[in-house]
Amino acid sequence: MKRMNKLTVCLSIIALAGSLLAACSNNNNTTNSSASPSPSASASSASPSESPSASPSEDPNAPVDGGSLVIGTFSDIVAINPIYIQDTSSGDVATFALANLYDLDRSGKVAAEPWSLAASLPEISADGLSYTVKLKPEAKWNDGTPVSADDILFTYNTMKNPDAGSPAISVTDKIDTITKVDDKTVTFKLKQVYAPFIYSLYTALAPYHILKDVPVTELEKHPYGSDVAQTVTNGPWKWTEWNKGQYLTFEADPNYWGSVKPHIQKITYKIYADQNTEVQALLTGDIDMTAAVPLPLLETVQGNSDIAVNLAPGPQYEYFAFNFKDENFPGNYSLFKGQKTRQAIAYALNRQGMVDNILKGTGTLMNSPFLATSWANPGDAATNYTYDPEKAKQLLAEDGWVAGKDGILEKDGHKFSFELQYNSGNSRRESVAAVIQQNLKDVGIEVKTTALDFATWVDQNLNPGVFEAALGAWSLSNPDPDQESIFSSKYYPPAGQNNIWYKNEKIDQLWVDGYSTTDQAQRTEIYKQIGAEISADLPYIFLYQYGTPQAFNKKINYAEEDKPEASLAYGQFFHIINWWIK
Amino acid sequence: MTEYLIRRTLQSVLVLFLISVVAFLLIHAAPGGPKSIMMSPRVSPEVAKIQERNLGLDQPVPIQYVKWLGNMLQGDLGNTFKNNIPVGEIMWPTVKNTLVLMAAAWIVSLIIAIPWGIYNSTREYGLSDQTASFISYIGFAMPSFWFGIILQEIFALKLGWLPLSDMYKLGNEGDIGDLLLHLIMPVSVLSLGFLASYMKYARSSMLEVLDQDYIRTARAKGLKERRVVFRHALRNALIPIITILGLDLPILVSGAALTERVFNWPGMGRLFVESAGQREYSMLMAITLVTALFVVVGNLVADILYAIVDPRVKLGKKGGVSA
Repeated sequence: MKRMNKLTVCLSIIALAGSLLAACSNNNNTTNSSASPSPSASASSASPSESPSASPSEDPNAPVDGGSLVIGTFSDIVAINPIYIQDTSSGDVATFALANLYDLDRSGKVAAEPWSLAASLPEISADGLSYTVKLKPEAKWNDGTPVSADDILFTYNTMKNPDAGSPAISVTDKIDTITKVDDKTVTFKLKQVYAPFIYSLYTALAPYHILKDVPVTELEKHPYGSDVAQTVTNGPWKWTEWNKGQYLTFEADPNYWGSVKPHIQKITYKIYADQNTEVQALLTGDIDMTAAVPLPLLETVQGNSDIAVNLAPGPQYEYFAFNFKDENFPGNYSLFKGQKTRQAIAYALNRQGMVDNILKGTGTLMNSPFLATSWANPGDAATNYTYDPEKAKQLLAEDGWVAGKDGILEKDGHKFSFELQYNSGNSRRESVAAVIQQNLKDVGIEVKTTALDFATWVDQNLNPGVFEAALGAWSLSNPDPDQESIFSSKYYPPAGQNNIWYKNEKIDQLWVDGYSTTDQAQRTEIYKQIGAEISADLPYIFLYQYGTPQAFNKKINYAEEDKPEASLAYGQFFHIINWWIK
Repeated sequence: MTEYLIRRTLQSVLVLFLISVVAFLLIHAAPGGPKSIMMSPRVSPEVAKIQERNLGLDQPVPIQYVKWLGNMLQGDLGNTFKNNIPVGEIMWPTVKNTLVLMAAAWIVSLIIAIPWGIYNSTREYGLSDQTASFISYIGFAMPSFWFGIILQEIFALKLGWLPLSDMYKLGNEGDIGDLLLHLIMPVSVLSLGFLASYMKYARSSMLEVLDQDYIRTARAKGLKERRVVFRHALRNALIPIITILGLDLPILVSGAALTERVFNWPGMGRLFVESAGQREYSMLMAITLVTALFVVVGNLVADILYAIVDPRVKLGKKGGVSA
């Protein structure tokens, strides 16, 4: 009897903990995609603080060398081989240990910074097909080997080789040839004009001299990137320790080649299984910063005078997806085929209420798949659906929906009742799903909400496109606005991510036009048209751009131009080489 | 005794084998393989297939099992899917950390629970007994993670007396004093749970014995109460307690996922939950086996102790007790 009880308790604990975890793995996973630059809408509230303890003879705001920075995170890294990085944590630490070929400026444009490997911006040929990249002559790996054209060739040739299994293949497969011009110069030739290609130059390189003899199918398993001793790096900090599941440490590399040297001596990347504990650790001073303060704890963190909080939303947006495939519905009838029906649902939802109450003001409304902070944001060209249940009812009536006996709308014998799926353990989505359910009930639509284990949901429903409606998010690690693979009918599952089986020929063509020119003005105009068309047609209801608030202990100092930038992926470490601890 | 041990060991091996088969099938039956977790949705199905082939995940489950078993018998627990690190390299340190935490909690709870339970049995429904009952109810009823959070709030955040989480302060790895300081809160949380049940067992077991005829006889002979309790009753009362302790031995490794999570203790419970979310098959199998091994050994130890403590039990002979 006693043992029986124990088993039950144990199982329920695993179930509970598992659901908490699902939320984390979700965060971890959605951080891969494409699109959007921008000047941040909201300024960081963190600012260089004047420390009274500074000696009077010095400028109190001058950077000081030394000190240590402890960063809290919710997940261990996988490995930092740049050919395979796809999880947030590995991407975070690669920022410290590996220099990028190019970096991003605050507005999300590709830039050759003093710490980038490239000497200057790529020279793009007049036909838009060739990109010539020149490396800085002084750039070298920390074993003394210079960073050379061979590293670029090796990295990109591996990424575009399907046998290597690199996630970067979706962009690098646009490359026709890569030629070595000299030891420090390389020319990429593309198969077609493809504007987002420039963002594939925003990457770290793999060391040719270490990996050249490894068969391509063995590369992912190679200890480069997971064994500290075998991982030569070329960034400002070298990787010194990996205590698995607990923390990683990085120390300023005395052999670093850059003209700008890091001020911070030691960086510790510390893993917390529980976000509540992580925030407590921030409050006790065990850690100095985190990029993810859970919303329920936001006020507590804001109330601490030692901590600065940045509320600006990150490069990600949440959506409510309609499935257009009849086979997914009972009676082989997709309820969402009518454009007016979809518009009615958009009017029925109180999106502003979600932002105010659930996101506690940390989000911005979206009307198209382009972030509010992006140059591609269509602004007023996209339809803004304000909360208007009466208008919703009217549109539903126009589309032929009539109330049945139980008050639920019906059309041609089909009841307007559907299942809305999302992943369990994500409290934000749970709350949003509940609001959607209530809002739609008010206009006569029945919504059944189903929360599923993240891994199961992705495998069984999202990837194959088997669901009626879903609540999800796209995270845009690359600031280009192109999202063809989500919305174009060329990309139905399993070959693409148009898992809602949406087809709009005009939009299909506009995506192609959008990436087939490198003329910025022309691109802006095209994405404006997409915004107008897609917000009228509504394959998704675009809900809001959101983010988890970032928090920084005020002992972290930086000049105004080096402050963290929430709207960029990894933007919490923006210009970290220039930060100092005091 | 030797014959019994050999028989039981063989049985244990069979049990472990069966556990491994069932666990392997269950773990692989869960929808969504490691690939759907790891991979960016932008990866094309062709690339996904290549990656699956590289990892051997494209083969039928029985073949995967046989391969796994073959490797395991040679001491190779396999590597993680996500970064090809040997499972043992990650798991063994967490087993050690969990043992440290759980053993500390177990010992603390035994030291308090058994003497107190025995004392209470001699003064039934007295103030001490009532207090103990009250604490037991709290121990049974209060969710451990919640109690943990409360302790953190008071002792780490408000008072700043104790470290909030982890095993060591950063850079203090291996410092015993630091470890003890870090143990206080998680051990308090865990031992409160153990305390509740052990105290009840000790008390009721003693009460039962004290009610026996031979105790009445001893008292009737005019022996001092002290002597009756310690010489006559205690040894007999300990028999069921020892059995329960043996059966509870697996607690030492099964860990307490939630407590480990709240205190960020780098233990096995936490690792198991994480690995389940990531569908790290090899890791899940390795942890399952280590836990199963402790269960089997725990049962065996309980039986042997039983025989040592209780002269009525003769192992290996007809009519003997075997679990």
